[in-house]
Amino acid sequence: MNDVLQTENLDKSFGSVKAVQDVSLTIAAGEFVAIMGRSGSGKTTLLQLLAGLESPTSGRILFEGQDISHLDEDGLALWRREHVGLVFQAFHLIPTLSAVENVAFPLYPTSIQSKERRQRALARLEQVGLAQRAGHRPGELSGGEQQRVAIARALVNRPSLILADEPTGNLDSQSSAEVMELFRNLNREEGVAVVVVTHDSDVAAVTDRLIEMKDGRIVKHDSQAQRMPAYVVKEER
Amino acid sequence: MNLSYLFAELSRRPGRTSSAILSVALGVALFVSLQAYASGYRQAARAPLAEIGADIAAQRQGDVPEAFQGIVFPHSTAPIHRDEISAARRLPGVEAVGEAVLFWDFEPDQFLVVLGLDPTSTTGPGRLIMAVTAGRFLAPSERGTTVADATFAREKGLRLGEVVPIAGQPFTLVGLVDTSRAGQVANANLYIPLADAQALSYAAPNVRAVHDFRADDANILFIRANQAQVDSVIAAVTNLMGKKAIVSSARSFSQVLGEAYRLVDRFGWLVGLAGLLVGIAALLRAMTANLWERRRDIGVMRAIGWRRKDIMGQLAGEAVTLALVGVLVGLVLAAFVTLVLSQTSVTVPVPWELSPTPHFLPGGAQAMAVTIRLPAQISLAAALSALGLALAGSAVLGLGLAGRAARIKPAEVLRSE
Repeated sequence: MNDVLQTENLDKSFGSVKAVQDVSLTIAAGEFVAIMGRSGSGKTTLLQLLAGLESPTSGRILFEGQDISHLDEDGLALWRREHVGLVFQAFHLIPTLSAVENVAFPLYPTSIQSKERRQRALARLEQVGLAQRAGHRPGELSGGEQQRVAIARALVNRPSLILADEPTGNLDSQSSAEVMELFRNLNREEGVAVVVVTHDSDVAAVTDRLIEMKDGRIVKHDSQAQRMPAYVVKEER
Repeated sequence: MNLSYLFAELSRRPGRTSSAILSVALGVALFVSLQAYASGYRQAARAPLAEIGADIAAQRQGDVPEAFQGIVFPHSTAPIHRDEISAARRLPGVEAVGEAVLFWDFEPDQFLVVLGLDPTSTTGPGRLIMAVTAGRFLAPSERGTTVADATFAREKGLRLGEVVPIAGQPFTLVGLVDTSRAGQVANANLYIPLADAQALSYAAPNVRAVHDFRADDANILFIRANQAQVDSVIAAVTNLMGKKAIVSSARSFSQVLGEAYRLVDRFGWLVGLAGLLVGIAALLRAMTANLWERRRDIGVMRAIGWRRKDIMGQLAGEAVTLALVGVLVGLVLAAFVTLVLSQTSVTVPVPWELSPTPHFLPGGAQAMAVTIRLPAQISLAAALSALGLALAGSAVLGLGLAGRAARIKPAEVLRSE
């Protein structure tokens, strides 16, 4: 399996605070990975480093073998537009745009024609089960629906990697399960690699691999075979 | 710049959008309306002379007659000699010169204001040919005929064909003119051929006693000038005629128009510009508030792949669009204000030098004035200036603000949620 993302001895400090220390990891294409840890463990900072939203103090980040650490902010923005989908805990939808416009939003600064943008956005909305809510604005959608719109937005540029920061943090358990199932299906059906940052062990249990962090360092790697998926357990009951 | 996002942002935040548009619109309306008001007054000040096809009336101050008997010249109409008239015609910027001889005729039984004119000249009182109400106008080269002001003729019971004595000489009344149609400048009771007026004046003892009047002289010149050179022509004519020159122009009329006009003329541009700048500043304030509210959205834009220039183009586009709509609304407002202004009347007093009636006679001390509708019009230059200033201002300020906004670190604003 090819590696989609790789870090080498990644460090990130904010002043004297070392948020991420000596992190080396590899995300394979089509892999579904959870990064877990307590609050302040550095997991969100690590995700932001992986997304190019923060620059590392030292170390390298390779995307499909290419070093992206040297890219400037616009270069990283272009890289995200072409290869990465981002999902946030607070959804971060644009309040003045409808669901379908929000999904198409990453394509606005591209040369793709508006008709094709809309078609691609509608297809992604249908994929997340929200085609009938295409004309609704975020304020008219539930939290779970908003997160599904955000996931559709992350998919609209056909990324090879989705990075999700606490995607279920603002959702009830039912919606959380639906969102994680959506990630699972996307991962299996489209082969997109998904990295989810969470503090919720139930969420982490859905993934193929768990990376546990403490004090900015990776302290544990677990594969699926070593764990009992919580949602699977619940369904079996 | 994405138009659908721009439209969504502007249309789905109606309060903020409308207040920004209104700010610019009021500034533009103030700027353009004040220009229209000032330009209306400037046009009005030109009206009295423009009605007789001239931009400038040139006279010379002279001595007071020793006796008010027979033909005398008002003391503001001393002779202008032929060589001076020829020199005036050759001045750069002078397009046409009409000449006239104005005199008073004090007879034992009547007083007349008489103007000798060239009926072939369209610059000056020759224009009265368009104001004939009965009979005909003076014909070229004819002598011994006269046309009368219709009101004067009615008061005196004059009829066409009747012989009217002027300084004892017979003149046949061939027509009546409505002088109110030609303004109050060069107004007289009777109009006669220029050659007759020159001959009568040359023979008049009370003229010759105080003036060096020659047979082919005039005592009023009406000058039409190239509009771009009016000021230089005024200066040249004043210089030509010496220190006793009385040169009247639109400026002379505007000087007696009143304080309101002077304030608008002097400070209107400045006040309008200040209003427009305040409008743009209000737009800037609205944009600043808008960008502060949208910090998270801008962070999202960066996070999902918008480059800095994409964001700057989008935000500057919003500012320019607001300014453009504001200008258009402002122009509509200005058109309405100008329409209202153009329904008002303006009274333009005629300077005393151009009054043909002696102040010591009944009615002579009455102020003469021309009342017209204020010709207020939106000038293309003012509209384009407002458009240019608003667009340039909003583009520069919008780009500056957008540039700052585009430097937002997405990790910071998204983390803070």
